[in-house]
Amino acid sequence: MKRAASPAARSRRSLLVAALTTAALLLAGGSLAQPAPAAPTAPSAPTAPSAPTAPSAPAAPSAPTAPAAPSGSAGTASTPAQAGGGSDVEISDRAYAIARELRCPVCTAESVADSSAEIAGEMRRLIQQQLDAGKSKEQILRYFRRRYGDWILLDPPKTGLHLVVWLLPLLALLGGAAALVLLVRRWRAAAESVPDAPDEDLQRVRAALDARKDDT
Amino acid sequence: MRRLIVVVAVVAVLTGLFLYGLFRGPPNRDVPSNLIGKSAPQFTLPLYERFQSEYGTNFSLDAHKGTPMVINFWASWCTPCFDEAPLLERYYRQYRHKGVLFVGVQTQDRGKYDAGRQFIDRFGYTFPVGMDNDSSIGVEYALFGVPETYFVDRAGTVVYKQIGPVTPAVMDRELGAILR
Repeated sequence: MKRAASPAARSRRSLLVAALTTAALLLAGGSLAQPAPAAPTAPSAPTAPSAPTAPSAPAAPSAPTAPAAPSGSAGTASTPAQAGGGSDVEISDRAYAIARELRCPVCTAESVADSSAEIAGEMRRLIQQQLDAGKSKEQILRYFRRRYGDWILLDPPKTGLHLVVWLLPLLALLGGAAALVLLVRRWRAAAESVPDAPDEDLQRVRAALDARKDDT
Repeated sequence: MRRLIVVVAVVAVLTGLFLYGLFRGPPNRDVPSNLIGKSAPQFTLPLYERFQSEYGTNFSLDAHKGTPMVINFWASWCTPCFDEAPLLERYYRQYRHKGVLFVGVQTQDRGKYDAGRQFIDRFGYTFPVGMDNDSSIGVEYALFGVPETYFVDRAGTVVYKQIGPVTPAVMDRELGAILR
C-alpha cells in the first residue's frame, strides 16, 4: 500500500537533497579552481638514471662558460629555500612569497616555493635575481605569465572567465544557506499545522473519546 | 515520486563526479605552448668544448636567423632523453645537408658538465650542444619537463613543440613543416 511520507520525513529528505547539492556545487567549484590541467611531461624525478657509460671525455680545454650564478639572499630576512637538485639557495622572504604564488611546472599542485624539483629551485633563483635587479612582484609574475600563461599562477587571476572559479564556491555556499533557511521555515510550518485527517477518522476518534468518558 | 526522482538524480550526479575524480587518471599533460606561432626566444648558450671550434664559445640563436632549427632540451638524469638521443642524431645527419640546424640544450642539470659530456660522447652528437646551467633558457621556453623539442621555421617562428621524446613520425612531419 502506498503511504504518503510525513511532513517531517519529507523535510528531512529535502534537507538531505539540499546538503548534497551544496556539496556537489562546492566540489565542482573546487575542481574548477584547478584551472588548466597540470603540466605536461613532468620529468621523472631527478634521481640519476643509469649513468651512461662514458667513453673517454674529449680533450676538453675548458668547461662551457656557465652564466654567473645569481647572488643569494638580498632581502632583510632570509628563508632557506627547500633544498632540491641544485636549488639549495637562500632567498628572501619576498622572493619566497612570490614563489608561493607560482606553480612548479613539473609537479602536481605544488608551488615553486615548496617544490624540491630542479626547475623550481632555478625559478626561485630567477625570482631572487629579478628582485635584486629592482623588479616588482607584479613584473616578476608577468615575466612568468608571459612564458607559461595563466597556468603558472597557483591562484587564477580574478578577471574574466577566471572569476567563475572564485565566485562559484561563494554562490554554492549562499545557495546552500538559502535552501537551509527555506527548509527550516517549511519544517516549522509543518510542525505547527494541524495534520489533516479524513472526517471518518475524526468521527471514530471522537466516538472513542466519548465512549471512554461514558465509562468513567 | 517526483522527490524520489530528484534524490536519485542528485545522488547519481554526485556519484558520477566522485567516480570521475577517482578514475580520471593523470591530468592531461598536453598543454598547448604559449610559444607556438611566436618568435623563438633569443638565447645565448655556452657550448661544450667539442663544438666550439665550429660554432664558437657561445651559440646565439640570433646568429642563425633564416635557418630552420630544432631545439632539443634534455637533462643527463632524464631517461626518455636517452631514448630519443640516437633518433635526434640520425635525423640531424639526414637533414643537416638540407640546411636544418639542431641545437641541444642541457637544462635542469646545474653543474652536471661531466654527465653532459658523457651523454654527448655516448650518442656521438654532431650538432651543437651546450649547458643552460641556471635553466633560464628553459624558463624562456616555458619548459615543463624534459625532453622537449621545439621546431622553428626559417622565419624564426616556433611551429611545433614536442613534449616527451620525439618519434620518427614527429620528426618527419615537423622537419617537413619547417623546411616548407
